Amino acid sequence: MSTMGATSKDSSAVSMKHLSKTYPVPLARLKSFFRRPTKPPVEALRDVSLKVREGEIFGLIGPNGAGKTTLTKIIATLVQPTEGSVTVRGFDSVRHAERVRAQVGLATAEERSFYWRLTPVQNLIFFARLYGMEERAARRRIKELLALFEFEGASVQRRFGELSTGNKQRLAVARALLPNPPVLLLDEPTRSLDPLAAARLRTTISQLVRVQPPVSILLTSHNLSEVEELCDRVAIISRGVIRAVDTPKNLRALHQQTERVTITVRGIERRAIEEALASSLGELEIAEQSNALSLSFRRETNDETLDKALTGLMERGAHVLSVDSEQATLLDVLTALHEEELKK
Amino acid sequence: MLRSVTLLFRRVWAFVVRDFQLLLSYRLQFFLRVLSILLMVTALFFVAKTFTGRADCPCAESPFTQWRDPLAAWITGLAVLNYFMTGFSSLANAIRAEQTQGTLESVLLTPISVPVVVVASSAWEFVQATLFSFLYLFFGWLFFGVHFRGSYLLALLFLILTTLVLACLGILSASFAMVFKRGDPFAVLLGTGSALFSGVFFPTQLLGAGFGTVSRILPPTYGLDGIRRVLIEGQGLSEVSDPLLTLLLFLVALLPFSLWVFSRAIRRAKREGSLIQY
Repeated sequence: MSTMGATSKDSSAVSMKHLSKTYPVPLARLKSFFRRPTKPPVEALRDVSLKVREGEIFGLIGPNGAGKTTLTKIIATLVQPTEGSVTVRGFDSVRHAERVRAQVGLATAEERSFYWRLTPVQNLIFFARLYGMEERAARRRIKELLALFEFEGASVQRRFGELSTGNKQRLAVARALLPNPPVLLLDEPTRSLDPLAAARLRTTISQLVRVQPPVSILLTSHNLSEVEELCDRVAIISRGVIRAVDTPKNLRALHQQTERVTITVRGIERRAIEEALASSLGELEIAEQSNALSLSFRRETNDETLDKALTGLMERGAHVLSVDSEQATLLDVLTALHEEELKK
Repeated sequence: MLRSVTLLFRRVWAFVVRDFQLLLSYRLQFFLRVLSILLMVTALFFVAKTFTGRADCPCAESPFTQWRDPLAAWITGLAVLNYFMTGFSSLANAIRAEQTQGTLESVLLTPISVPVVVVASSAWEFVQATLFSFLYLFFGWLFFGVHFRGSYLLALLFLILTTLVLACLGILSASFAMVFKRGDPFAVLLGTGSALFSGVFFPTQLLGAGFGTVSRILPPTYGLDGIRRVLIEGQGLSEVSDPLLTLLLFLVALLPFSLWVFSRAIRRAKREGSLIQY
């Protein structure tokens, strides 16, 4: 497998420039000739420019129908862009489609992409042969991957259709890794996994970017905490347009400048808390816990409200048990962007 | 060059092994097919016997020389038709089957071109068709005393040539399946048309002027006629040059056209994103 890009000096693993995709209406002219009603063309992507760096885990999040799958499929050469270009390690996805496919592994949550009456090994051997792998090397690689994804004796002997959903999912990731691709596209890789299996897979994914040469990963997921945990950078896509690209931390800071603070106290009554803090805090919620009270309020990040609240409470003899702050998540950022989008 | 050929064979081999493994998971279906061939040959033997067993049977003096032994003509016709239809339908079926199973996407994610997928995934169909076609002739020879003569090599040439011509139509059919996602009119017309008008069950001369024209535009008519002339009448190359040349003309006309249509269909399917839909 080639490890060098073809034409570009660009060091990015995947580069998209002004990428647009509009799905035309199939047989539009024929339908209009017979005066059959036709739906309008679907604009899936509009002027998308992104780069996935070498050895980076890049997250792509957005609501359903935002264009994530189309973007992934264009990179994997399954769909052609209407405008713009995609290069994978320097190879153009339209002009050098086969070479791009040799660089890319794609794992989707689609169970039907395997032959259900064949065993996992028979399935993997088939795909290894299509990748052009030597028989012995293919079997060795399959053994490694089955061990990596913890396939045990019995499940290896079963037909694919008899595997659990989690095992099917793991086999999809194993297949994507079969030819040791430098670029990995993961479409909701942990969707059907139990929490332990999902955590193990996340560990495996994070290890892939640390091997030499590192694997560059484009991860789409609806599990935002997973994206926050794994990704170096994240792009938020909505209605085919990239709304923001940055590290998860910067995205949170940029789009959500408030945080919810919860203070748990003992040795003070509800009325005393209200007297001390109601005037300085706008929305104050007080709830009783066993032998304690918890009060929560929203504040601007890094303002003096927390200092004032703590001072006021302690002046009235409160014993502070804990202080927690609930920072904005990617979900908040996604929601905020989506609301902005709806207002337009 | 050598590496490309090796890769191509490795990929074709991958599909053949996969389909063989899938066949092993459906053993009963395979044995039922073999049994149905045996039953069909047996039935045709008795149908033939109702004519050839009569004292006033005109078969021996029939002007249709290929039909003097009707059983030989029928089993040759069925064996060859089975092979021709594989050449025609397997290419379209290959794409369609992968599409409906949902596996086409994962196959196309590997560094393999669509034409290679089409050819490689129909390879097993040819292996199977060769076996089933052979069984028609083998059962006829083993149980019912049917004997063939003439050059088997020449018969093979006819078989390959006609299969190639039908594969061109199969490529058109595959293009149709790729764009429209449905069984196509070529399959219906050629499948039923060949059985009726290509002389599988009766001599084409009986069709008369009108239907005879239909017979003459169907490539299997020439393939079947050539093979019967060789295997049943024992004719040589110089005597069968007419159907051979006609088949060559079909091939020269259809091959570039079908490849052009196929490349257009692939481009269209990729543009519409419909190649991986089902």
